[in-house]
Parts: sequence; C-alpha cells; structure tokens
Amino acid sequence: MPSKGYQILITMLPKYLTSVKKVDNEEKMSGMAIFTGDILMEDAYYAIPVRSTISFGKILEIKVPTLPKNYYFISAKDIIKENVCNIIVDDWPVFADKETHYKGETIGLIVGPDKKKAIELSKLVEVKYEEYEPVYEMKNSYVHKEFVKGDKEVFKKASKVFSEEFETGYQDQIYLEPQGMLMWLDGDKITVKASMQCPFYIKKAIMRTLGYPEDKVRVIQPAVGGAFGGKEHYPSLMGAQLATAIVKIKKPIKMIFDRKEDITFTTKRHPSKTNISAYLDDKDNILGVKIHVGIDGGAYIGCSMVVLSRALIAATNTYTFDNVEIVGDAYCTNKIPSAAFRGFGSPQSIFAIELFINHLADFLHVNPVDLRTKYLVKTGDITSTNGVFRDPIILKDLIDKAFEMSDYKRKVKEYSKPGTYRGIGYSTFLHGCGFTGSGESTIINAQLRMKKDKDGVVTFYTSQVDFGQGNRTTLKRIVVDTLGIPEDKVIYDAPDTDQTLSTGPTAASRTIIIVGGLVAKAAKHLKEIWIDGKEQEIVEPYVGPSYIKWDEDTMQGDAYPGYAWGVNVIEVEVDPITYEVSIIGTWSTYDVGHAIDERIIIGQADGGLAQALGWAYLEKEEVSDGEFKQTRMSDYVIPTFVDLPKMETALIDNPFPYGAFGAKGAGELTFVGGAPAFAIALEQAINRKVHKIPATPEYIMELIENGN
Amino acid sequence: MIHYFVPSSLKEALKILNENDCYIFAGGTDLMVQKHLSSGLLPNFDKDVLFIMKINELNYIEKDNEGNIHIGATTRYNEIEASSLIPEIYKTVIKEIASPNIRNMATLAGNIGNASPAGDSLLPLILNDAEVVLSSIDGERIIKVQDFILGVKKLDRKQNEIIKEIVIKPQELDYFYRKVGSRKAESITKVSFLGGYKIEKNRLVDFRVAFGSVSTKVVRNQEVENKYINKELKDIDIDSVVNDYTNLVTPITDQRSNKEYRHKVAMNLLKKFLKEIKGGRDE
Amino acid sequence: MEIKFVLNHKQVAIDVNPSMRLLDVLRDVCHLTGTKEGCGEGECGACTVLVNDEPVNSCLMPIINVFGKEVITIEGFRETKAYKVISSAFADMGGSQCGFCTPGMILASYAVLRKNPHPTDEEIRIALSGNLCRCTGYQAIVNAVKLASEKGVKL
Repeated sequence: MPSKGYQILITMLPKYLTSVKKVDNEEKMSGMAIFTGDILMEDAYYAIPVRSTISFGKILEIKVPTLPKNYYFISAKDIIKENVCNIIVDDWPVFADKETHYKGETIGLIVGPDKKKAIELSKLVEVKYEEYEPVYEMKNSYVHKEFVKGDKEVFKKASKVFSEEFETGYQDQIYLEPQGMLMWLDGDKITVKASMQCPFYIKKAIMRTLGYPEDKVRVIQPAVGGAFGGKEHYPSLMGAQLATAIVKIKKPIKMIFDRKEDITFTTKRHPSKTNISAYLDDKDNILGVKIHVGIDGGAYIGCSMVVLSRALIAATNTYTFDNVEIVGDAYCTNKIPSAAFRGFGSPQSIFAIELFINHLADFLHVNPVDLRTKYLVKTGDITSTNGVFRDPIILKDLIDKAFEMSDYKRKVKEYSKPGTYRGIGYSTFLHGCGFTGSGESTIINAQLRMKKDKDGVVTFYTSQVDFGQGNRTTLKRIVVDTLGIPEDKVIYDAPDTDQTLSTGPTAASRTIIIVGGLVAKAAKHLKEIWIDGKEQEIVEPYVGPSYIKWDEDTMQGDAYPGYAWGVNVIEVEVDPITYEVSIIGTWSTYDVGHAIDERIIIGQADGGLAQALGWAYLEKEEVSDGEFKQTRMSDYVIPTFVDLPKMETALIDNPFPYGAFGAKGAGELTFVGGAPAFAIALEQAINRKVHKIPATPEYIMELIENGN
Repeated sequence: MIHYFVPSSLKEALKILNENDCYIFAGGTDLMVQKHLSSGLLPNFDKDVLFIMKINELNYIEKDNEGNIHIGATTRYNEIEASSLIPEIYKTVIKEIASPNIRNMATLAGNIGNASPAGDSLLPLILNDAEVVLSSIDGERIIKVQDFILGVKKLDRKQNEIIKEIVIKPQELDYFYRKVGSRKAESITKVSFLGGYKIEKNRLVDFRVAFGSVSTKVVRNQEVENKYINKELKDIDIDSVVNDYTNLVTPITDQRSNKEYRHKVAMNLLKKFLKEIKGGRDE
Repeated sequence: MEIKFVLNHKQVAIDVNPSMRLLDVLRDVCHLTGTKEGCGEGECGACTVLVNDEPVNSCLMPIINVFGKEVITIEGFRETKAYKVISSAFADMGGSQCGFCTPGMILASYAVLRKNPHPTDEEIRIALSGNLCRCTGYQAIVNAVKLASEKGVKL
C-alpha cells in the first residue's frame, strides 16, 4: 500500500501533486468567465412564470388581464406539438393544462420587454381552480421495484428479527448561480445558452415539444456556476417553456431566477423513508436482510424511477449478505418534483444501512467495528443484484488508513466515557460509476468526435459540462498525455450541440470513467492513424465492458461497470446547553481508481463531504401545506467557513482497467458517506440513537430530553 | 411617486422628516432585503426614503465627561468594533452579527430602528440601560432603548423624529452572552441570552437578564431582577429564578426553530448563567 | 440623481435612482459582470466588492451609499500585483471550482490580508465567513489565503 506517498497529499503542497493548472482558472478568478446572466443582449424580453397557487386541482379558467403591446401570455394553449417535457418519464407537462399537481407548477409565462411590468402583469393573471384533496405523505406509489438475492425461505428460519426505520429530508443544491436561460433565434434556429448540465437534454426537450428536427435547435454552454444534479432536468422544462414562447414572439427571451424563486420552485433531493430488518439465527448470525426504501418523488415521476433504482442497488452498501430482499417505491405527492442531486438516491439508503448496522451491533452487544468488518464486501462477492464485485476491493486498507489518520481507535474509547459530549463515527461506502447496468451501451451510446488539422492541432468535442468539477482540464489532459503533444495543440471547448455528438449527460459520475475512457481511446486511435500534415477526423463509439449484463425489469445482473469506494471519519462535539453540534474534524480515504489530477479529486472530496454534512445537520427544508417553509438563504442555511473544520483526505491508488488512465468516478462518491459518519459520531456524543436527518439542535434536544 | 431624499446635514434631514413620512435609510442591510423585488429592479419602497449615510456629522464615537459613550447614527458596526471607547460586551455581541461584509455597511442605529426581536445588538443596549437621542425639528428627547422599542417593527418614534445617537454607559458588570443561531456565522438568532451581574462580598449587588428572539421584543424584567439584587449568593435558588422567567419567555415556532427548543435553551442558558454566578455551588 | 464615485480608479458620475443597488449599477449600467448575484440578500457574498478597501455586499448597498467613495471590483483588482499573488495561490490550492463565488472570494481574501497579513486558519475562516462556496468545502480556499500570505501580498 503506497501510504507514504499519499501522506503528503494531506498537507496539499502543490509541488507534490500530479495536478496541472486548471484551464478555466484565469477566466473564473478574473471575473471574465461569462455566465448566463452576464450575457449582454439588451433587446431580450423577460419571461416571468405564472404559477399554480394550489397543490392539486382542476384549472377551470385562466383570466389574463388586457396586455399592453409587446406583452404576451404563453400557456398550454400555445403548445406547438406536445405538452410534454422530455425527462426520463414523460409525465411532466411543459405548462399545467387541465390540472395542476403542485404549488408552483408553471401555468404560463408573461413575456415582455420590461421586467417590472412583466412581474406586475404576472400577478394580475387570475386562475380559477376546483381544488382536490392533495396528498403530501408517501402513500401512493407510482414506481415499484423489488428484487431478491439468495433464498427467501431463509427469513422464515430466523430466531429473531431486528427492525428500524430511517428518514432523510429534502436538500436544495444551492449551486451559487441560480437557474437561468437565454434563448434567441438565429434565422429560424432556436439557440440556447443556459446554466445547465446536459445540453442534449435541453435540445431534446425543445425538439419534442415543438416537433422540431435536430438542425433547428442549438444549445451552447456558457460558464456554469455549480449544478450538483440540480441543473440536469429543470433546464429542460425552462427550455421547453421558452421555446414555446419564442416561436410565437420571435424575440430573444431570458428567464433568470432569483434565489428565492430557485429555492421555492426547482427540484430537490428526494426525501426518504427506509425500513430495514435483519433476520438472525440463534447464534446471532445475519441470515438475511430485508430493506424497503421509499422516496418522495413529488408530483411527477421525471427521473425518480432511476433515482429509486440507484437507492435500491446501493441499499446493502459495502456489506455482503447472502440473502437479501430489496423493495422500493417512489411515491407521488402533490409537491415539487424531486430530481437529481449528487448521489442520486444512494446517500439516502446508505445513510440507513450504516446506522442500522451500528444499531444492530448494540442490539447484539457486539463491537460495531467487528460486526461491520464481518460482513464487509470482498473481491468476488456477489452483489445484491446477483452481479459480481470484480475489481480489487481495498476497503480494508481504506479503513485502516482512515483510522490511523483520525486516531479513531483511541478516540472512540475515550469518548465512550459519559459527559465528554464528544463522538467519533465512521462510514464505509461505495458508488457505482456510470449509468445503471448496460445503460451506457443501450441508452446513451456516446460517440466522440476528434479531428486534427494540417498543423497537427487536435480538436475534440464532448457534451460534458464543466460546472466546477474540473473535467475540462482533465479530459483535455487525457488527450494531451495520450498523444504526447503540447497543451496548446489541443483544443477542447465547452459543448455546443452543433459541434459535438452526444457523449451523454454530465451526471452519474460518468464523465471520467466513461467519457474519459472514450476520449483516451479516441486519442489512442488517432495516434495510430496519425499522418503529419493531413486533416483527419474520427468518430469513436463507446463500447462497454462485455461482462456487463443487466436486466432493468428484474434488476438482475451487474449494475455498474465499476465501483469507487470511500471511508469518512467524523468527530463532533455537542453543546449540552444549546444542543448545537460542532464538527471537530474529518478524515477521509478514497479509492477512485487512479486519480488523474489529485488536486481536482481532493476538491471533489472536500466539497462533496461539506455538502453531505450540510444535509446531515444544517440544511432543513420543511413543507407546510405543500409549500417549502425555508425559501431564502438566510433560512435554508448551508455551511459557512466556520461551520466546517479542517478536512484531511488521502487517496489510495487502485487503477481501474476500463477507465482512462485507471480512473473511476469521484463526483458523487464523496457525498455518500458524510451523513452516516456524522450521525454515528453524534450518537456517541449524546448517547442516543439517531434515526433521521437533518439532525438539527431541535431534534437533538428531543433525543436528549426524551431518552432512547 | 416615491421621493428619495439625500440630505447632507442633520438640519436638512429634520426639515425633510417634518414634512414627509419616510423610511429612514442608514446602512440598508435590512431594508434592502425587505424591499427587494427582483434582480435588476429598484427596491420596492411604498413611501418616501430618507438616506442618511451622507450626513457626516452623525458619524462619530465620543466619550463625554461622565464617561458615557455617544455613537452617532451613521456609525457602522465595523467602526464600533474597532473603537477603543466601546465596552467589550458590545464588541462581543457585534462580532457575531451577520458577516464581516455586512458589518462594514450596517449601523447600530439601524439595528435599533429595525426593531426586530432577533436584533442582537439590542441585548447589551437594553441590559445596560442604553438610551437613544431622538432629534426632530422641535428639539431632542432621550429615551431608553428598552422603552423605545414597543414590539416587532414598532417604535415609540414620531414621524418627524430620527435617531441621532445612542448613548451607552461604560461597562461595569460581568457578563455571560450566548447567541444561538442556525449556524456559526451569518445566522439569524433563534434564541439569545445576555446576563450581567456584580458580586460584592458574596452578595449580588447587580443582576440583569435579557433574552432575545423569544418574544415580540427583547425580554428584560426589572421587577424580577430586583427580587434578587442584594441577596446573598447562597440564597439565590436557581429553580426559583427560572420559575420567575419561564412565563416571560414566550417564543413562537417559525421557519428557523420551534417554541419548545427556544424556551428550553433560554432556560438552559439562564441556569448556566446562574451557576456561573454562584461559582458552581448549589449544583 | 447624479452619483459621483471612484470606480476602479476612475472618477465616474452615474445618473441613476439613489436606491439602485450597487450590484445592478455595476452589472447593468457599467457592464462589469465579474460581480455576481447569488442570493440578493447579503448571504452568499458572490457580489462582494471593495468600498474604501472594505468588502461589502453590493446587493445590499444602494448606490447613494458609495457617493464620494472608492469602489473596486474584480475588473479593477485584476490589474494589481496583489491579484496575481492571490489568484495564483487560488490556482495552486484549487480554491476555485465553479467560479461563481470566486471574484467575490478573491476580493474578500485581499481584504483579510490587507488587515491581517499573517492570519491563522481560524482568522481566515472567521474573516471570510460572509462568503459562501458550495464547491470546495472551504479547505482549499483557506489553504490559498495561507499561501498568499506566505508569498506576501504587496499593498
């Protein structure tokens, strides 16, 4: 184990890093990077949404005030072809038509040249409803999935059963740049710049609602100020809405959300409720485990079925149980649809199983570390979907290293004494990289275009958006290093759907493992056929590893092409007077295959964990009567500089044969383990069991006052 | 039609105020949030606005012959933090208000004028019997901050009056302060506590308690305080003090916290303060 | 009314409503879009600019309150030597990811170092607590300010 080399990383001295200068550093630091809201287009009209004010009901009448010249009301009646926003499941309309299913659903847009006037007019639109009884609780399932590993009969043989329920809350992405889109006509071609993750998703959504062909829609990526999943699907809705308007109005239109509007009306992380039961024999061995994961999908399914899949596949996390029954439901509620957010369902189920195992150890009066180690997954183990963990698993090394860095063993003993109000906890976790199952070959089918001019300048195109993760730097570097040519001989710009073929969405931690692999392959290919002084162009298709076989209907087979792994150790202190928690330190170890650019990976590691800690104890988003109660950044609070401690991170090299230069995914992995490690630390500090997050001081007070 | 007035002297400001009902706009860090409409648009004021930050004569921190400190209405928090004339307790409280960036803009007078129950600076002002000097075309009057603030956004201010300055007394007590917010910086207070005391020969010669964010205004009750002043420390019964305050602290549930938590923490802080006074005895 | 102030070392006179946000004057009137709007309520600090060398939230500052003062935005600051030191420290330490908080963060970092040339980690964290970042978890920014302080920001 190369522990010596990686020790150095912790101090983060740049000269020891394998990193290169990020290509977008200078434009971003100097303020020269142009984000959507920075684009100067003075004749652009403003689009102001008119939103449903009820949670569920029939739209009886829409009374639009008399509009002055150059002001328009655009709604379902203006739909050109289909009132459907192309997400994964097509149930989300572009504009609410006969019915509305959540408060805040867009019924129409007021579009016009003066923003203030447009806002005033939007408030004068009167909508009459016939209200239905809304549903806010998770009770009506609209997606159900289940699968079994091993023998279901074994559950009958158990001599005892231990069961618990866990809950997690909403989380807002709080990308620093709110959602925004600018659309204009270039001849009769619809042209879009937006704060986004997936240019081709927006393009498809526009084509679908308008019935337009490929060549009449173009999406170009400007600088994007963070996304975290929140700009994967919502911009498609904005795109379809603005496209409907622009066909009629034929003027440039912009729709840029203020923060409050963004928090109140855009998609969030799914709240969840997970029930787990361990079936034990008379010697306290786990015969089998039953897990039910329920997620709150909100009013429309959108991508919830895929989020549910990932939550279920991840539900046994880093543990191998011989017999497993996994069931899940995504529930329809009359609330804002939930959608993508870093981790995509797995943080919810992994939070549950990590706490559950610890609680089970208590129930069985055994040391939790021993119990967790006993069932820890090993290379060659069968996954819960009857696939195989093929690649070398170095989880034990990751744990040892994290324990050593954090002085875990000493602290966990010391803090077990009453009255210290300190606690330390750890989580182990995994993240499947890329789309579920064979989705990369069957759904995405990425194709990469790379060309070379007479002077040997190589240009390549992807649809990957760099919203901070550093992939523009890393993908370019893969080409530079593979071809062995100087950096200035390689051109790699932000996506423009007129230039690039689709290499798939910027999601699912697939950019480096999948697209990076494809980029490396294309570069290698180009190198092989390289002829000096000649223009050459290649299109490289993605070919997945042949062993990946997956059946989405039965949820059987190899769920992912590869897995990344991690360990978080978190130490906390609780103030027994105010029930506030301070995070004292975090120590993390990761196996992301081979880290191509360590500085970028450390950035993902710290940032992911910070966001996870926010979810674990600070970020509270409550719903009252179908509406979010925390709608401003002073009420929905994310961690500041002083809420987070020094973070220490080490990477252990474990090259993955199918990724570029041995790399696996890293973006989401770093989010997955923070909440359970935090909660386990908190449990030790207050000597109570935690069953839900965010663990706010209010909840901690309840726990302390009410006992276990 | 909204009028925006930008006087450069107090005299001019008083004349304008005498003739117009205005928002008095100092640093603006609260008003700009309350009146914000949307990006790129002017704040949505519904009546005239009097900007006072150009009145240089109101920017001062001075000590008078009696040792009282006068803080002019346009003096910002960062200036107060940096001044050697200001008692430590005020600095302790101010350092936890909002963020450094906001403290470079916001004024103490503005925090009083905003009359929010979550206004942190109100605790030391009220606990230490600070006064505001209100100026109008008719002259000046002096009123205790505690009496000046009547409730949420409610002041005992006539339309033609302006806060000219705040007068604070030099520090002579020992203090115990805790702000409990939603996070460690940039947080709006869920509950706050400031206690002050002075002990002479095991006797409590001064005793004051103030709670923030637990009622429509800062809770301070001199009647209760007087019950304990001049008592011997050993005769202070923590439970009885808590009992005296428990019904005065009447928090609400909102998007930031709930009433149970606010009440419980307020009482915990009171107990902690009392234990500190008693030097850890009578646990 | 006409508001006179110094913007990035140049005297300017801008005829706008005195209640207009400094942020909107910079972005919409002067087309200086390096100053960002992340929340519009003084929480995120993406709109940080320097007024008389002190960092403020330009989303909360009406233009009248900079009358006669000196305003520095990232467009002015990027011409300085101090910018070179701080931005290269940010680059070395990975202090910028999505970049939306970065111009404000760099100006706030400069203000920290101007007041306190050799801050501890804790002092850096407290001084920057009005600037939010959702990407880095802050450690890289603390490291960057530390590095800039070691290299010395010449004022």
